[in-house]
Amino acid sequence: MPSKLQLHLSKVFLKIFLRDRQSIFFSLFFPIIFMTVFGFVNSGGQDPINIGVVNESNSVVASNFVQELIDSPIFNVTIGTEERLREELEAGDQTMVLVLPELFNNQSLAQDSTELRLLVDAAQVQQLGLILPVLEQTLIEIEREFRNTEPMFSLVIEDVQARSQSYLDFLLPGLMAFTLMQLSIAGSGFNIVEYRRKGILKRLFVTPIQPKDFIAAIVLARMSIVLLQLTVLVAFAVFVLDVSIVGNFAAFYFLIILGTFIFLNLGFCLGSVAKTQQAVMAVGNIVIFPQIFLSGVFYPIESMPALIQPIAYVLPLSFISTGMRDIANEGASLLAIMPSLLGIAVWLVIGFVLATRLFVWKEVAN
Amino acid sequence: MPIIEVENFAKKYPLPDNKNETFFAVNGVSLHIDKGEIFGILGPNGAGKTTTLEMLEGLVDIDGGHATIDGIDVQSHPFKVKGIIGVQLQANEYFDNLSLVELLTLFGALYSREIDPENLLGKVNLLDKAKAKPANLSGGQKQRFSIACALVNDPKVLFLDEPTTGLDPQAKRNLWDLVTELNNTGMTIVLTTHNMEEAESLCHRIAIMDHGKIVAEGTPQQLILQHAPEPPEAPLHGNLEDVFLALTGHALRD
Repeated sequence: MPSKLQLHLSKVFLKIFLRDRQSIFFSLFFPIIFMTVFGFVNSGGQDPINIGVVNESNSVVASNFVQELIDSPIFNVTIGTEERLREELEAGDQTMVLVLPELFNNQSLAQDSTELRLLVDAAQVQQLGLILPVLEQTLIEIEREFRNTEPMFSLVIEDVQARSQSYLDFLLPGLMAFTLMQLSIAGSGFNIVEYRRKGILKRLFVTPIQPKDFIAAIVLARMSIVLLQLTVLVAFAVFVLDVSIVGNFAAFYFLIILGTFIFLNLGFCLGSVAKTQQAVMAVGNIVIFPQIFLSGVFYPIESMPALIQPIAYVLPLSFISTGMRDIANEGASLLAIMPSLLGIAVWLVIGFVLATRLFVWKEVAN
Repeated sequence: MPIIEVENFAKKYPLPDNKNETFFAVNGVSLHIDKGEIFGILGPNGAGKTTTLEMLEGLVDIDGGHATIDGIDVQSHPFKVKGIIGVQLQANEYFDNLSLVELLTLFGALYSREIDPENLLGKVNLLDKAKAKPANLSGGQKQRFSIACALVNDPKVLFLDEPTTGLDPQAKRNLWDLVTELNNTGMTIVLTTHNMEEAESLCHRIAIMDHGKIVAEGTPQQLILQHAPEPPEAPLHGNLEDVFLALTGHALRD
């Protein structure tokens, strides 16, 4: 439990940090932009495919078929002559052009199979696999109507998670973990170096304050700020971007607090080791960058090369982002994420021991 | 009755241009400073003045010798010593975003004391700046404020490291008055300076240091009598600056 002195000091530091409004605001800027961009990119699902339709037949069946394509959300239909659409295809404005022959009418359809020509651009070929089944499905349905047959099977899709999950839902907990890492490391490490440069640490060192009181005060104050910042981000994600957090909010915040604690301590280590602002930036990046890519913030660790997975799994940010994601996306309880919690506990001890070992008044103050 | 006793202080540092070799920044310094004195330590740059103070303040390790302040051993009880001394360092920047009153309250808290910031600001003549930030103070005001910070624990000994360096004559005189007032309340004051006028008019006793050693010690008058060059070589009134140059030579220091 923090002592009275530590609480008093942390209140002062809180005041110092809170008055630095600019940095509080701008540190939220990046994650908010990031979330918004990802929110928009993924909100509409797949972009509609541009398809040109040349209708050489004037039958009702043909116009029904075209109407069905127009109604499908998958296609963005342009109707025109083959010549013009072929040019558009070459120019890249159309992904493909479908030609309905003159014979596309009741009689010929009833008699034998009709040939539809599909002009494609080979460069777009990777989309074909996606489009052809849809096209064929549409044709089969028309065929059934004509031949009056019922489908033998029908697939009913049931989502076991019983709710839709967008990439943003996946991203949010990771992005929270990543943001708390950045804010915490900067909040302790960069501050320490700044205070050293100004001679403030030396001035504090000639008073009877103990290093642990100083560390505790900074950690408490900075943690309050980071919690405030993350609350703004979570509120923005939930209310503006419609991200869903399924799990318990208290458990979610519990992990945020533990994560903040780890990275504030690691920040103290950086601040004690690096003597200049440039050095702390460089060393900070060595700690931050690998974790951005390896800790499953933007994509799951399972999708990484098998060789680096063992390393990726034991990074502090991995435990935190995995734990936060399990809570936010799957509604996992604290008990269910025990493996992550154990990893976090180990890093808490490592961070705390290192910080108190490395942060020696005589060394950091001079 | 001495309040500070230093015996054979020594401090080794690695040489700046050869890290494997060491040199003595302070080498066999002994001092006896009486209670209620204003004691000045003079010396060219690099003579070891600041290092001597920092060893007494517990900022740097003591490599040799020992010292007591008010009977407390500096090396074995550094935190006890810090409780009874007040320190003004050469660099005196503070946290941004805090007013003078808030900073003084913070310093009070570091000593676990409830203090009256207005009263302290009044002592150093900064009451009208109570709500200002340190960044908005002039050089002289900054020095007075850092003395106020050094006073939050009612120290028995006040250490001032080059308190008037860079101040204009008005601010300098103003600071001397402040030091004299504090001394009149019985506070022992130890200061370092390059300013001979300051040493002569402010200090009861002074020690001149060079190359990590004390080369002369006494009242300003004694030193002038002993070391000032004979009248033909110098102006009729030999002053302390002549003493200083006679003892430490004319060679430029860094």
